[in-house]
Amino acid sequence: MTLNTPLLWVLFPLVIAAIVGALYQRKALSIILTVITAFGLALLAALFPENLTLSIGPLRLVFSENLAILGRQITVKYEILPFISLIYAMTGLWTLSSWFPNTPVAFRPISLVLTALLTAAAGVEPFLYAAVLIQIAILVSVPMLSQGGGATDRGILRYLTLQTLAMPLILLAGWLLTGVETLPADSPLVGQSTILLGLGFALWLGIFPFHSWIPMVAQRSRPNVVGFLVFLFPTTILVFSLNFFNRYTFLRNLPNLAETLQLFGVVMIVIGGLWTAFQTDLKRAFGFSVLTESGFSLAALGLISQGGLNWLMLLFPLRALGFWLWSFALTALENHAEELTFESVRGIARRFPILSAGLILAQFSIAGMPLLASFPIKLALLSATLNAGTAFGVWSFIGNLGLFLFTLRLLFSLLTPQDENTFEKWRLSEKSNEYLPVLIMILILVLLGLFPNNFMDGILNTLTAFTQLQ
Amino acid sequence: MQILPTLAFVVIIMTAMIILIFRDWRINAGALALQYLAAFILVDVSWPTGMAVIKLIVGWMATVTIGFTCMRQQKSTAVEESPASMFFRAVAGLLVILVMFILAPGVQSNIFPGLNLIIVQSGLMLLGMGLMQLGTTAEPYLTVFALLSLLSGFEIIHAGLERSSLLTGLLVLVNLGLALVGVYFIGTGVEKGTEQEEEEVL
Repeated sequence: MTLNTPLLWVLFPLVIAAIVGALYQRKALSIILTVITAFGLALLAALFPENLTLSIGPLRLVFSENLAILGRQITVKYEILPFISLIYAMTGLWTLSSWFPNTPVAFRPISLVLTALLTAAAGVEPFLYAAVLIQIAILVSVPMLSQGGGATDRGILRYLTLQTLAMPLILLAGWLLTGVETLPADSPLVGQSTILLGLGFALWLGIFPFHSWIPMVAQRSRPNVVGFLVFLFPTTILVFSLNFFNRYTFLRNLPNLAETLQLFGVVMIVIGGLWTAFQTDLKRAFGFSVLTESGFSLAALGLISQGGLNWLMLLFPLRALGFWLWSFALTALENHAEELTFESVRGIARRFPILSAGLILAQFSIAGMPLLASFPIKLALLSATLNAGTAFGVWSFIGNLGLFLFTLRLLFSLLTPQDENTFEKWRLSEKSNEYLPVLIMILILVLLGLFPNNFMDGILNTLTAFTQLQ
Repeated sequence: MQILPTLAFVVIIMTAMIILIFRDWRINAGALALQYLAAFILVDVSWPTGMAVIKLIVGWMATVTIGFTCMRQQKSTAVEESPASMFFRAVAGLLVILVMFILAPGVQSNIFPGLNLIIVQSGLMLLGMGLMQLGTTAEPYLTVFALLSLLSGFEIIHAGLERSSLLTGLLVLVNLGLALVGVYFIGTGVEKGTEQEEEEVL
């Protein structure tokens, strides 16, 4: 029997998503099915043998890497499996958090569909067609952002609009790039295709000035859904962007490209950081911190000659875990507080100490607090940015301080009782299914901060798929 | 055979202006359906008719889907609109048409030398008018109409550059998906009173 890897990581989850969608009224069953599928595929991707042969007792399954569709191919290479393992594992984790009330029922099937589509996008040949697959994923993601079937938020409309504008730009840039390969470096087409490509990616990644939908959607949608969205799309799109650097020599050699990427990275870090620092809405602050993280990703891409790609890849899992804990704690607290503003959550740490600790630690981890997961990479990135240019380094540092400042303000608010004249006793009001995941994730973040090299090296193998970027 | 594409180009300008100016879903749905017919004629210049007709069918399916949903929602047929705002949109539309007429020859000669000028003009016209439409409305069905127009403009140009069954199939999914998202938006409606929040965003 001929099997292939796209069948396993693209078509199979789509079939399961259809089943989960049909079972939407049976919450427990649909969660179990989604989580088992996602974690199963993540585990399989992590342990898949290099010769693509699975031996289960007498049964020997030989896999090929390609699936032909309408004369083109979807390829899931062995080299890209660590990345696929990451996105499926995180899909499993996020769908695990979908037992919270008010999580859209569409979230579970849609999360699987998105991961499958983006896996296909990572391996479609010609790789430019990934733009269309990403666009389809964006369209599929829309229903899960509306909260409880309520009225559509304008942020979602803006999200749809800006993301849809990216696809034509990328496809046109891709067409131009095929001609550019044979042209001299000073040809005007080089500049034109680079601008189209840059605009397309800026729209996709929500780079300034196309970022306004992120805080708007973060404020109005469920935090666990938003967390999943802002992890999955930018991560996959950044990996997709590496295809361009890998394939087109002129892009790698383009003068000032590294500086431009760093500049936009620093601008994003500063904008995101400063806006986060002064927020009073916890969900909006989450949205703004996503901008800062996009900035760090751009800065890492700009430092490609100094090993920036390694930092970029290492940031993915650490950011994913931080975002997961952050969004999990926000979702849980949203069920206990009227709304997630500083005023509403005042003193809530006395009733929900573990959720509050999870929230604070997740934010500190994302901000790069020493002893927490992102610290080693953030430190390396900030140092490299400083070496590349003092102004860049100083502004990145200032921008990154924004999340620290916000977290300190939040901590103060969480600890201050609603009524300062009455003494409110500390008590544990969380249920075990709320505090256990938080405690486990806190432990993981601390362990990753203490032993960064022991767990994360696997994701770096993804870079072997991009032979020119070694 | 140049007469048909020229006619299609004129239809594209007129329908794009109608969609930009008017807010009645019935007028706009009719204009969008006509626009897809014109787009089909222009795609037919580059592609075999059997393949180009896919664009027409998909476009009409998307239009009908959104149109029926608007009808089920019993949207008001007589939308209260001041003549000033319609006049403003008409002037803005005329400006876009002017800009695209000026830009098109340069774009054609510098970027798409292999394409007929009328194809480039039509594609750019739809892209420009779609962008203008996106800038003037927050109504879900109009946003989706604008995105469909914009994609239609892109597809007219891209059809002259590349012919791929897989890409055509995927773009069919994008167009239908967009229509379904439009249906979803129309069904849920748009929250009012979010202008304040938008102003707070950078």
